Amino acid sequence: MKRIDKLRISRRQMLGATATAAAGAAAAAAPLSEARAATAAAPRWSMVMDMRRCIGCSACTVACKAENNVSLGRFRTVVQRKMTGTFPNVKKINLPIICNHCEGSAKDGADDGVPPCVSVCPEYPGERLTYVSPTTGKKIRYRGGATYRRPDGLILIDVAKCIGCGKCLDGCPYGVRSFDPFVQAGAKPEEQTADKCTFCVHLIDNGQDPACVTTCQGKARIFGDLNDPDSPVSKLVREHNLSSPGNVLLPEKGTAPQVYYIDPEGVLKTAYREREKGKLDHYMEYLDA
Amino acid sequence: MTALNRRGFMKLASASGAVLAAGAADIRPALAGTIKLSQSGRSFSPTTGKERQAIPTACWQCVTRDSMIGYVEDGRVVKLDGHPESIRTRGVICAKGQAGINTVYFPDRILYPLRRVGARGEHKWKRISWDEALDEIAGRMKPLLDAGTPEKLMYHYGRNKASQSKVNGDFLGAFGTKTIGNHTSICEGGKWTAQELMWGGHYDNWDFDNTDFVLVFGSNTLNTHTNHIPVAQRLIDAHVGRGVPMYVFDVRLTDTAAHADEWIPINVGKDGLVALAMCNVIMSEGRYKRDLFKFMKVTADRNASVDEKIAAVKAGVAAFTPEMAEKDSMVPADKIRELARAFARAKSGVVVSYRGTIAHQDGADQERAMMLLAAITNNVNSPGGRCQGVGAGWKSPKSKAGQKTGGKVKALNINDGFPGQVAYPTHHVNHQVLKMIKDGRAGRPEVYIWSCYNPVYVNGEVEENKAIMKDESLMPFTVSINIVYDESSALADIILPDVTYLERWDWEDMVSPTQVAEYYFRQPLIKPLGESRDTGDIWVGLAQRLGIKLAWSSKEDFVRQSCNMTPGVKEAGGFEYMKKRGIWHDKNAKPDYMGFMSKIPASALKKDGVIFDQATGVYWNWKKAKAQSADEAMKVGYQNTPGAYKAYVGQEIDGEVYRGFKPDKVNKSGFLEFYSELLKAKGIPAFPTFTPIAEHTAMAPDELHLTTYKVAVHTHSRTSHCKWLSEIYHDNPGWMNPKTAAERGLVDGDRIRVRSKHGEITTHVKVTEGIIPGIIAISYHVGREFSGRYGSGKADPIPGTMADDPDFKNKWWDRHGVHPNVLIANAPDRMTGQQRWMDEVVRVEKA
Repeated sequence: MKRIDKLRISRRQMLGATATAAAGAAAAAAPLSEARAATAAAPRWSMVMDMRRCIGCSACTVACKAENNVSLGRFRTVVQRKMTGTFPNVKKINLPIICNHCEGSAKDGADDGVPPCVSVCPEYPGERLTYVSPTTGKKIRYRGGATYRRPDGLILIDVAKCIGCGKCLDGCPYGVRSFDPFVQAGAKPEEQTADKCTFCVHLIDNGQDPACVTTCQGKARIFGDLNDPDSPVSKLVREHNLSSPGNVLLPEKGTAPQVYYIDPEGVLKTAYREREKGKLDHYMEYLDA
Repeated sequence: MTALNRRGFMKLASASGAVLAAGAADIRPALAGTIKLSQSGRSFSPTTGKERQAIPTACWQCVTRDSMIGYVEDGRVVKLDGHPESIRTRGVICAKGQAGINTVYFPDRILYPLRRVGARGEHKWKRISWDEALDEIAGRMKPLLDAGTPEKLMYHYGRNKASQSKVNGDFLGAFGTKTIGNHTSICEGGKWTAQELMWGGHYDNWDFDNTDFVLVFGSNTLNTHTNHIPVAQRLIDAHVGRGVPMYVFDVRLTDTAAHADEWIPINVGKDGLVALAMCNVIMSEGRYKRDLFKFMKVTADRNASVDEKIAAVKAGVAAFTPEMAEKDSMVPADKIRELARAFARAKSGVVVSYRGTIAHQDGADQERAMMLLAAITNNVNSPGGRCQGVGAGWKSPKSKAGQKTGGKVKALNINDGFPGQVAYPTHHVNHQVLKMIKDGRAGRPEVYIWSCYNPVYVNGEVEENKAIMKDESLMPFTVSINIVYDESSALADIILPDVTYLERWDWEDMVSPTQVAEYYFRQPLIKPLGESRDTGDIWVGLAQRLGIKLAWSSKEDFVRQSCNMTPGVKEAGGFEYMKKRGIWHDKNAKPDYMGFMSKIPASALKKDGVIFDQATGVYWNWKKAKAQSADEAMKVGYQNTPGAYKAYVGQEIDGEVYRGFKPDKVNKSGFLEFYSELLKAKGIPAFPTFTPIAEHTAMAPDELHLTTYKVAVHTHSRTSHCKWLSEIYHDNPGWMNPKTAAERGLVDGDRIRVRSKHGEITTHVKVTEGIIPGIIAISYHVGREFSGRYGSGKADPIPGTMADDPDFKNKWWDRHGVHPNVLIANAPDRMTGQQRWMDEVVRVEKA
């Protein structure tokens, strides 16, 4: 995959990626308290990936390209594939991955609402913003930044504030960020802005599922509000006990991911190809088949 | 709960172009603090939040043809999604469908008529006007009419369906030619013909919604089926949602095999043998179900009792013991027994089979073995079983045929293979067309027009195809209707810029997975780019020049009239309704399970012209069959009267007359025929059997089987210019088992040379545990000589294409794969004409 090397995080130095990531306390994903959910002022958007149902068709990957006009050479979501075993006892695992919209921090593993990509952003914490909850109508104050966390759990990028420094690309232990060659960093136009999955914020704010979910024929991607005990994601989390640490990626990083995996065969860890330092090869969808 | 459900689609159409501030319109405080997101139906710009215009239409990337909603912003198609009201797709489309936008805007798209200025195949072109192009083509067609040889106009299509097929056929009929080629024999023609010999029709749907057991042979159903989106999601629902057991026989670990309870590796071409062995277990252990035997024909005696039939099937499969099958197939005898018993025990079950099973010598017999397995377990046209496909039945306007030839419509006999080559070419033998043109004995087309087809690339023996098409003495005048310069357009004299499917009118009819027909519709999302023009409108231009009167004035008019004359759609509001909704089905319609058991009323048998055929037990109408007289018809008999199947009324069984399994393409009886008089008449075994494949029995120890396959993100030949698809899949290494690789001193990634009798390619090897030893498998989508810069790595050598795509500078791949068809003979199966893709043998060595 040498060919891919030239596009990775490329133009910048990888700064301190491993240093931040290494701190992972053994904290599990944030516990899902029903009591907390019932009193929540805002939704908490989350995705459940049902590994039994992913048929590796790449419809999600391409739907995302179209929905978000994602340039060639990078992705906002991909399906990783892995074959294990020896003939004829062979398995193939499809693993859809996406920004985990983490709640926690790599620094202390606490559910402090400041995940590593946000904490490394030089523009965070920035201006004070107000979020109006669609579920309760309550106004919730929060801090903006070039990368920031909205009170409904979305980790978003403010292009106007971005200086294109690339710290968040390095800081994300999952390596799901890239530079958008089409969009300049608003606060430093000679650089390109950082870019990643927004859970299709422009759709969910308009009452629509994210594009990858809408087109998923296996219903392997399920999206919804974890603060609504009746939402499909809440039901799945309860039914499959997804709040246990083994059902998210890299639980040891203490980032409290909000993307959960239904993995009855316990193959998540085997299947997941982690990022290599300074590269984003793991986040390219390329079938050598 | 506040349901922000946007499935009420009328709302969408009326919201076209409305500007909504992001978040303003739809997210409201909810009483219970919950939000229900809608699956699809509306689209918003990620940069401005503006709501986009929503237009119902239909996909055409592949034959599945899902109904869709297209979204348009500032006159540009920006997003495609499934139509949320579709009973077929349930609002979902695949990766190819999602990349449909790329077919409109890829940088190498042909936008203007072109005339070659150098020698044919020299890639020198100039832009001409539509008038110049149509004048020249009409000027070539007119002499054919004057000479009374309209059949020397040949039209050859790859993917034409529904209204597109009808509109083309209508014009060509009006002109007087039936020399119309297709591509079915390189796809699944053999499966279809096999089915026509058994149950009459030619498409099977597997009732996954109701099934209790799934057996898959030679089909990557979850990724690449011809009705992909409708069936894949239902198979996953059945398997994961309802825990339905699923076992997959395949030479490779496909995604379907990977999801199964078990992948059962099987040797190439042995699917039918294993199915017969399963039949053997079920029959010999008395595990069959008697229900269907009454309607089956399994011996020469149509009056055989059920017990006699059971005995005959038992005897017919007696030789195929699990041990015998194990020896050839590598499937353990115990596994065959276990699965046969489980399948027979299940309340219902489906037997899936596809190209891996049928693209062989006598592949149709393998399909017959599959059907036999389904029949003896009572899983034919039953809930949860293997059901005949149901699609929409549209009406359409018809022009007068043979307008300049005294009503005559003629054909060159070049579509069905060489004389004596194929017994029942009911879907033609298109991969022999170029060979037959070269041979010349059955005549040659003076004018050869093709669209949505790439004869050079999609058939075997690519180099020969190229040489024939390049030879002006064999093919004097060639016209390609296309959106992209490809291996065949390169050999045209004139290229006409086709519209893409997102700029076109059509009605659509693909099979429904629920056995309830869905009527759906395609309409332009934008005006055709450049000077591109629908083929239907090209015919209008030619008809005007030739003085031919068509019953429709444009493709849009053809579709309009069709909508306004088709029962159901018409009452719903016809064309205007379809423009708004894009889709219609009869809410009261129910699946026609076990329809073959319906009795034919006595009145139908007393109708004028209806006679009884003693030999077959078929009631048929000699007048409808255009026989000369009742006496003549009785004397010649149903089976030997050409086209008698069109006059079928019912099948007599035990003194009653049933609808039975109605014939559709051949003069079979109304039984589900496993004993085929038609095959017997051609010297082919009447009852399903297994005949070793000639190429395989003659293999040298160092030779390997070559198999080809599809991946989820490409069609065979029409998507490599789509950047989002080629980014994911652009290279096709040869899959090889570690044992096979080691025998050749190969390690993963080595460059290899693959040689057959027909050609040679160089690629690299992917050493993988996910394939059986003794074969090499290479996919067939890539290795494009021309397919625009995303598909072939180089820009098209033509003037007047699209403007550059700013994303092109981000293209990162420089491998574009190889084409395995170079290695494969254009060899039809003797029973059906199916191209025998999977019978080729090759030698592989380090390059």
